[in-house]
Amino acid sequence: MQGQGRVMRLGLGAKFTLTVLTILACTMAANALYSLYTSTRFHEKQLVERGRALGRLISLVSPEAILSFDFLLLNEYTRQVSAQPDVVYGVILSPDGAPLSAYIDRGDPLVRERTQETASDDVLGLLRKLDGDPGLIRLEFPIVHNDAHLGRFLVGISKTTLNNEFRRQLEVQLMALTALVLFLSMAIFLAFRHSVLFPIKALISASRDVGRGQHAMVEVKTEDELGQLAIAFNAMAEEVRQEQAKLHRQANFDTLTGLPNRLMALDRINHAISRASRSSEKFALFFIDLDNFKSVNDSLGHAVGDELLVATGARVQAILRDADTVARLGGDEFLVLVPDVVNELQAEEIAERLVRAISQPHTLSGRKVVARCSVGIVLFPENGNTVASLMANADNAMYQAKATGQGSAIFFTEDMNTRLRERMQMEQDLNQALELGQFELYFQPIFDTASGRHRGAEVLLRWQHPERGSISPAVFITLAEATGQIVGIGDWVLEQTCRYWAQWHRAGLGPEFLAINISRVQFRKRFSRRLSELIAIYEVPPSALELEITESVLLDDHNHVAEELNSLRAIGVTLSLDDFGTGYSSLSYLKRFRFDVLKIDRSFVAGLPTNGEDVSLVNAILAMAKGLGLAVVAEGVEHREQLDFLTEQGCALAQGFFLARPMDRQAYAAFLENIPVGEGVVQLPRNRNKQRIVRAG
Amino acid sequence: MLKRLRSLLSFPSPSRGLAGLAVALALVAGAAHGSEKGLVLGVFPRLHASETTTRYTPMAEHLSERLGIKVTLVVSRDFDAFWQGVEEQRFDIVLYNQLHYIRSSRTYQVVAHNKEFGKSTLAGALYVRKDSNITSLAQLRGRTVLFGGGEDAMIGYIAPMYLLLKAGLTRNDITARFAVNPLNSVIGVARKLADAAGSGDAVVEQPALRKAINTDELVVLAVTEQLLHLPWAVRRNMPSKLRETIQNALVDLENSESGRRVLKSAVLSGIGRAEDKDYNPHRIMVRAVAGSAALP
Repeated sequence: MQGQGRVMRLGLGAKFTLTVLTILACTMAANALYSLYTSTRFHEKQLVERGRALGRLISLVSPEAILSFDFLLLNEYTRQVSAQPDVVYGVILSPDGAPLSAYIDRGDPLVRERTQETASDDVLGLLRKLDGDPGLIRLEFPIVHNDAHLGRFLVGISKTTLNNEFRRQLEVQLMALTALVLFLSMAIFLAFRHSVLFPIKALISASRDVGRGQHAMVEVKTEDELGQLAIAFNAMAEEVRQEQAKLHRQANFDTLTGLPNRLMALDRINHAISRASRSSEKFALFFIDLDNFKSVNDSLGHAVGDELLVATGARVQAILRDADTVARLGGDEFLVLVPDVVNELQAEEIAERLVRAISQPHTLSGRKVVARCSVGIVLFPENGNTVASLMANADNAMYQAKATGQGSAIFFTEDMNTRLRERMQMEQDLNQALELGQFELYFQPIFDTASGRHRGAEVLLRWQHPERGSISPAVFITLAEATGQIVGIGDWVLEQTCRYWAQWHRAGLGPEFLAINISRVQFRKRFSRRLSELIAIYEVPPSALELEITESVLLDDHNHVAEELNSLRAIGVTLSLDDFGTGYSSLSYLKRFRFDVLKIDRSFVAGLPTNGEDVSLVNAILAMAKGLGLAVVAEGVEHREQLDFLTEQGCALAQGFFLARPMDRQAYAAFLENIPVGEGVVQLPRNRNKQRIVRAG
Repeated sequence: MLKRLRSLLSFPSPSRGLAGLAVALALVAGAAHGSEKGLVLGVFPRLHASETTTRYTPMAEHLSERLGIKVTLVVSRDFDAFWQGVEEQRFDIVLYNQLHYIRSSRTYQVVAHNKEFGKSTLAGALYVRKDSNITSLAQLRGRTVLFGGGEDAMIGYIAPMYLLLKAGLTRNDITARFAVNPLNSVIGVARKLADAAGSGDAVVEQPALRKAINTDELVVLAVTEQLLHLPWAVRRNMPSKLRETIQNALVDLENSESGRRVLKSAVLSGIGRAEDKDYNPHRIMVRAVAGSAALP
């Protein structure tokens, strides 16, 4: 009703009573009027009959008096007639119309009115006036004796009494009718209220209770429609209750683990805030995120992943008190709420227990699985006094913990928020960086270790921030990958690389190849189609492009990865496995996915040639690459000794500060123009793609 | 009859009204048989039977008391029945009009006469309307004269007709109509049903007439000499002592309170002594109007 303008609110009882009242009033009024009308008609007929009886009698007895000229007797007749109730006049006229005897009730209102207009002794004039009055019944009777017409007897009967009686009866009946209708209406209303309205109100009240989420039932008192309605309502209320309980469970509990979900976790935090605020107590929140949970899902399947989540939840629950709350926030995120925490030390102990418990190996589907986690810790009220702030800070701390390393727990600090704000600012700046032309490509030359000849360059991205200056890719690429901005940026890098290569090629400066780093996120977006377009647009031979893909890319859906790598291979570009050995290096990857080049990470090159482990690792990689027919590029060559070692061990290609620092487009163009020929430099075969690069000598 | 009529009017059914009337008349007729043990008082039916009974019942009772003999009032249904009773001498005491007495004077002897409206006599008179422009009896020739009563009516017919005869008119010169009594003849003229009315000279003084019509609209055209009022007669064969006792009882009515109540009931001023010769003037008029054959 609300929101539909002003609507007259008339209750069901009032509507029903009004309807009944109207029907009763109309019916009874019609009946009363009809009865009154027929009664009046009957009495009018009676009046006429009485007049006729009088007339017949007078006409019967009058002849003797007329014939004997007994006017006194005639007068007596007319007097007696006129003395009768309602008779206004009785007049005996001679055959020629002269009054023989007349008696007129001068007190009658009809006569009084007419006598004001007519001379009092003008009987005939008065009769003429009276005869036209609708309130008068005029009857005429011939007076006959032996077929001789002796005269006429006229009698006038007033309907005034009858009409007055009609009006009086009408008033009485109307009053009685009104009283009766009101009484009946009241009685009907009371009965209706008792038998209909009360049950309906009970249903309304119960419905409102149900609407407020309360369980309500109504008493079934009758077996009529209302009783059936009450039964149906109770059944509905019960179903609603069960459904609400189900919805409540679904809304507040995680269906997989049976733990409270995010919604209930937030509610409990809210309650904890209220209680702790009242009692000046502390409580701790532990934001737990399983590390590399995706790997478990990808490698062992989602079923095992789900088992891990259930087992983790149970394990966490097992080490906590009943008063504590363990909730699954979603994915691999858990939240632990521990009330009555005295200080950071106690919280730290709890966190350690959590990390320890979660890190215990699980046997899932017959396989041993070790899960690690990162925990962000916040304390109320030090680290926030609202649900939102506590959750945000715990989440922030958890990310910091994750950044720190697996299996760590970190308390929230204000610095984290500062970093977070900076990250958010950078994220916003990053959004505009492409449009504002703040990105710039740098090129780090790659050389043939054996001949010293320049072969190509790795394309590096620099962000020239207007306020913060040059920002390292290590800072913003991670952010761009996290926000998805890397897709646009990567596309820009691809296009610029193709454009420059085309420019240099037209200028006769063309490097043999340009190596572009492809992000894991970019790879997921099936960028091969876009690469084909760019190659076609800028007329770049596919062999001039080398795509550097990190090992993390290979962790994604293997089918998709294989499919995309095949597409790229079909295009004809060179595929390079970047940072080999630092990530989830799996030799099976090398077997499963065909690469052309391996890039040895700078961390392995740094210890060369003195660090035994690095020497062993590099030698192993070089041996494996040789076995697989892969070319190898060593990154981070910064000393002559490193270069010599790599050259000696057969690493064909190298890049690093020792050989050449990354340079901008103009510098690289100049570098290309000024490459000395012959001095310590070996000329490599022009068609690199036609043969496998192998360790020289 | 009027009382009966009143009751009948309250139950307006013609059949019941007729039945009521029949019963009333039968009762009156039945009562006229007289009584052999007491005396029978007969009163001529110049009034309606009920009215006659009302007026003269106290008289009968008074006479019974004075005479020590039961006096029964007999009211005749009509003049024929009454006259038959006179001729058969069924009445011991009788009140009738002057013509009746003259005709029955061989068997009845007058002992007293009425005094009405304070007068012992009355005269016959002829009335016309003032607006009729009739100023002489001769103007009545060819006109309708309504006489009060039948041809036996002394004051209503004999006396007025005597005036006409004296004026040179005969019965054939007029159209004679007869009202039931002198009052109605005058009313009939007032209602323009006749040109002249034969009635008594004092009739216009009667309240009933004044109530019925405006008597100022009438005028007396001619009047006879004063004639002694209605006679009270007894059978001639009645013992003289009883006759005298009756005469005294009647004449003494004015002298006692109870007698005056009886007179008042009969609407009489009094009753005076009368003897046969007092009615000789009447005999003259009767002989002139009805002829000698009408006299005994």
